[in-house]
Amino acid sequence: MKYLAKDQSKCIQCGQCEEVCSTTYFKTKDKFKSCIQINEVESKPEINVCSQCGECIDICPVQAITRDKLGVVRINKKICVGCLMCVGFCPEVAMRQHDEYLEPFKCIACGLCAKSCPQKAISVEVYQEALAEN
Amino acid sequence: MIFIIKVNNRELEWYEGMTIEDIFKIKNYTWTKIIVKVNKQVIDEENYKITIVNDGDDVQMLHLLAGG
Amino acid sequence: MDINKLKEGRKLLKEFKYDLGSIEKGYTNRTLYVNISENKIESKEVTPLMKEKFIGGKGFGLYTLWHGTTPSTKWNDPENEIVISGGPVCGITQYPGAGKSLVCSISPMTDIPIDSNVGGYFGPYLKFSGWDALEVQGKAENDIVVFIDGDNGVVRIEEAPLEAVDSHVIAEQLTEMYAENEADKRNISVISAGTAAEHSRMGLLNFSFYDVRRKVQRFKQAGRGGIGTVFRDKKIKAIIIKFSNVKGDLNNAVDKAIINKAGLKLHKEMHYLDDKQNRMRQVGTAYSQEIMSAYDLLPVMNFQYGGHEDVKKISPDVFKNNYLTQGMADGCWYGCSMACAKTADGFELLTGPYKGQKVTVDGAEYETLAGCGSNCGIFDPRAILEINFYCDTYGIDTISYGTSMAFVMECYERKIINKEFTGGLELKFGNFEDSIEVLHQMSRGEGFGLILGQGVHRMKKIFAEKCGADPDFLFDIGMEQKGLEYSEYVSKESLAQQGGFGLTNKGPQHDEAWIIFMDMVNNQIPTFEDKAEALYYFPMFRTWFGLYGLCKLPWNDVTPANNKFTSEPAKIPEHVQNYLDVVYGVTGKKLNTTEMVRESERVYNFQRIFNIRLGKGLRANDKIPYRSAGPVTKEEYEARQERFDGQLKEILNYDVEGKTTEEKMAVLRKHRESQYEKLIDAVYKRRGWNSNGVPTIERLKDLGMDLPELIEVVKDMQ
Repeated sequence: MKYLAKDQSKCIQCGQCEEVCSTTYFKTKDKFKSCIQINEVESKPEINVCSQCGECIDICPVQAITRDKLGVVRINKKICVGCLMCVGFCPEVAMRQHDEYLEPFKCIACGLCAKSCPQKAISVEVYQEALAEN
Repeated sequence: MIFIIKVNNRELEWYEGMTIEDIFKIKNYTWTKIIVKVNKQVIDEENYKITIVNDGDDVQMLHLLAGG
Repeated sequence: MDINKLKEGRKLLKEFKYDLGSIEKGYTNRTLYVNISENKIESKEVTPLMKEKFIGGKGFGLYTLWHGTTPSTKWNDPENEIVISGGPVCGITQYPGAGKSLVCSISPMTDIPIDSNVGGYFGPYLKFSGWDALEVQGKAENDIVVFIDGDNGVVRIEEAPLEAVDSHVIAEQLTEMYAENEADKRNISVISAGTAAEHSRMGLLNFSFYDVRRKVQRFKQAGRGGIGTVFRDKKIKAIIIKFSNVKGDLNNAVDKAIINKAGLKLHKEMHYLDDKQNRMRQVGTAYSQEIMSAYDLLPVMNFQYGGHEDVKKISPDVFKNNYLTQGMADGCWYGCSMACAKTADGFELLTGPYKGQKVTVDGAEYETLAGCGSNCGIFDPRAILEINFYCDTYGIDTISYGTSMAFVMECYERKIINKEFTGGLELKFGNFEDSIEVLHQMSRGEGFGLILGQGVHRMKKIFAEKCGADPDFLFDIGMEQKGLEYSEYVSKESLAQQGGFGLTNKGPQHDEAWIIFMDMVNNQIPTFEDKAEALYYFPMFRTWFGLYGLCKLPWNDVTPANNKFTSEPAKIPEHVQNYLDVVYGVTGKKLNTTEMVRESERVYNFQRIFNIRLGKGLRANDKIPYRSAGPVTKEEYEARQERFDGQLKEILNYDVEGKTTEEKMAVLRKHRESQYEKLIDAVYKRRGWNSNGVPTIERLKDLGMDLPELIEVVKDMQ
C-alpha cells in the first residue's frame, strides 16, 4: 500500500509541499486547497495528510471511494454526491473540502510534495501487503 | 433524624458520603443523555463517582428528550 | 422475474412531456398534478402566498389537499388526494436528515387530514425532476403505475396488470425495469403499498432507496393514517421516479459555505459522540427500548404496564449481535451520517407466502419493537423481525397494527372476544404464530384479518355490537384517539405527554411532542402554564421540520458536547441555529427562533381548521382513552400500588387505609381526568384557541392567517 510517510521532527513549516499540491491539483497557491497541510500544535510542526487507512471507504453512501491497485484511496468525483460525511469521519482529519468545490479531495500519494521538500520530511513509502490488509 | 436533598425538585433521603453515582443507582437512571447540576453547577460525567452531595443540596438530573 | 413480460402487459394511458425547468433557492416553483380518473397531467404554479405562508412539505400538502377536496370529501372519494412534497431544504446532501417527504391525504382511519413523514430518495428526486410537490387525484379503472422520468422530462400513466403488489417484490421488478444497469439502480425510487393495504384501513406507503452495498431496494415508510389504503383504493400499484446525476448543489443554494459548515459540524458530532450517546449508527432507534422499560414507559400488553423483565431478550445488543449488519452507510438520504436505517440481512422467513425466502428487513425501529413486540407480549427478536417484514411488504403500519393487535389480545384474554370470533386463532399475549396469521389474513383479505385491519376505533364498535362488550370499558382500554392508534409510549405518569398525544392535529403520534422526561422525570414543567408552554413550543418547533423536508432525529438524537452549558439544553440551541443557518444557506431567508415557530404555527392552525372543516378538530375530539392517563383495571393499579397510593396521599390528601382498590381507582381517575381538562384549557389558551379548541380570528390575524377560506370555517364558532 502506497502512502505518504512523514517525519514531523524534520519539518520546518516552509509550506513548499502545500504550494506544490495546490498548484498541481487546483492551479493555485492556496494552503486550503492542498491535500497536505502543515499546522502547528503546541509550537511543534504537524504534518496533516491522509494515511490511506480507508475508513472513508465504508462511510461513503455511493461507493465513490475505493482503493486502487497500489492501495491508494481515491475518490471518483463523477459518482460523489458531495455529502462530506467522509470529511467529518476521517480519523486523521485529512479528508479535505473547500466551499468552491462540490467534492472533497485527498492525498493520493503522488509524491510531488516529497520531491520538493527541502528537509526530506515526507516521502512516498509502500507498506507490506500483509500490513496493508489490516 | 432524616436528611433530605432535592433531586429534580423532589425530596430524596440523604446520607453521609452520597455521590452523584449513588443517586443514579437509587433513581435507576439509565438514559444516555443526562445533564447533572448540583446547586446549578454542571458536573462532568467523569466526576460522578467522586462528587459528594451535601445535605440540603439541590441536584438536577435533566434527561434530554428524544424521539422521532 | 421476466421484465419483458411485465412490459407486454403495460398499456399507455397518458404521456406528458415537460421542461425540466430550474431550481432556485430550493424551489422549482411549480407542482405536478396527476389525475388518474381523467388521465390528465398538468403543471401548476407555486404562488408567492404558498411559499410565504405554507413554506413547502406538509404546508404544501395540506394547502393543496384543502383546495382539491370539499368539506364532504371522504377518504375513498375520487377527489381525495395524495400529495407528496419535500420542502425547500429537501435534497441538500451536506446536512444530515435532509431527504424527507411529507405525504398528506384524507385518512381512512381518522376521516381528517393525515400527514406522514418519510425518508427514501423520492422526495429529493421529485424536486430534482422539476417539481415542488406531486398531487395525485382521481381513481383509476384498472391497476396503474405512474412513472416520472426526471432525466428527460416525461410523465406516464400506464396500466400495469402484471406487476406484483407487495412492496419487496414490486420495488425490485420496477427497479430492474427502469434502471439500465446496476449502477443506474440508485437513480430509481419507487413508492408502493402492499396487498394488506387493500383490505384494511391502516395501509402505508413504502418509499424506496437503493442500497448499493446490499444491492437491494430498501424502504422507509409513510406509515401513519392509512395513506397506503388510499393509494390502493385509487388502484395505484406504484409511483416510480428516475433521476440521475445527483450532486451537492442541485438546490441552487444561496450560500453553500454556511450549509457545508453546519453539515461538517454535525458529521463530526456523529463521528465523535454517537458511540457514547445514543448509538444511532449501531442500532438505530432501537437504542431506547430497554431504557424505556427501566423508566416504566415501554408499552407492555396493550399499555397496561410500562416495563417487563423479558425486554432484555429484545434489547438493542441482541439485534446488533445477531441480526443487524454493521459498518454500512445506512442513511435514507445522502449525507445522513446518523444512519439510523438498520437492517437484518439474509433473514429467513418462517411463515406466509414468502416462507423460506431470505430477505432484507428494514428495522426493527423502536416503534415496531415496542408496538409489535412488548405491547403484544412478544419478546422474541426473530418473531418481531418477521412481523416487521410482513407489515412492510404488505403495506401495513406497524404502529397501528401493533396497537390494534395489543387491543385484540387484551380483549381475548379478558374473554370479550373468543376463539369462535377469531376463527380459531388463539390471540393471547405472546402468541406469535396465531397473531402473524392475522397479518397474512389481512393480505389475503379474509377472516379475522378483515376486522383487525379496521383499527381499534372501529373494532371497539364491532366488539360492542357483535360480542356484547361494554363500550365504556372498550373506550377505556382501546388506545386510539381521533381514529388513529397511539404510538408506543406509556403516558400515564406524564400529564403533559397525555396532552402531547391528545392535543395533536392528526391523532396520537409522538412526532408533535415527546416531553415525558421534561415533565415526569425532570419535573421541569410543574404548572399547567409550564406544560402549556411546552405543548405550544414543541409541537410548533417539530412541525417546522416537515415544512422544509427535514428529519427531526439529527436535531436531538445527538447533542453537542457543550449543550449542557446552554440555558435551555432541552431545545438544543446549537442545532436550532444550524437549522436557521441551513435555511438561510438554501433559501436566503433570515429566520430567528420566533419566526421559525410562527411559520409552523400558521400551518398548524391551518391543519386544525382543516379538521374543523371536516367536522372534527374540536374539544370533544381531543378526549383521550383513560388507559393513556391512568390505571383502568385492578391489575394495573395493583401492579403499581405503591406509586398510586402515594399520589393519593400526597396530592389529594386521601387516606388509603382500608380502602378497596376500586375505591382508590375511582378517586385517582376523577383527579386525573380533571387534570387533563385543566391542561386542555391551558394549552388552548396558549395556542390562541377558544375553549372549544377553535382558533380565534384574532390569533389568525396576528399570524397573518386570516385567509378568507379559514375565516369562513371558524367565524360562527368564535
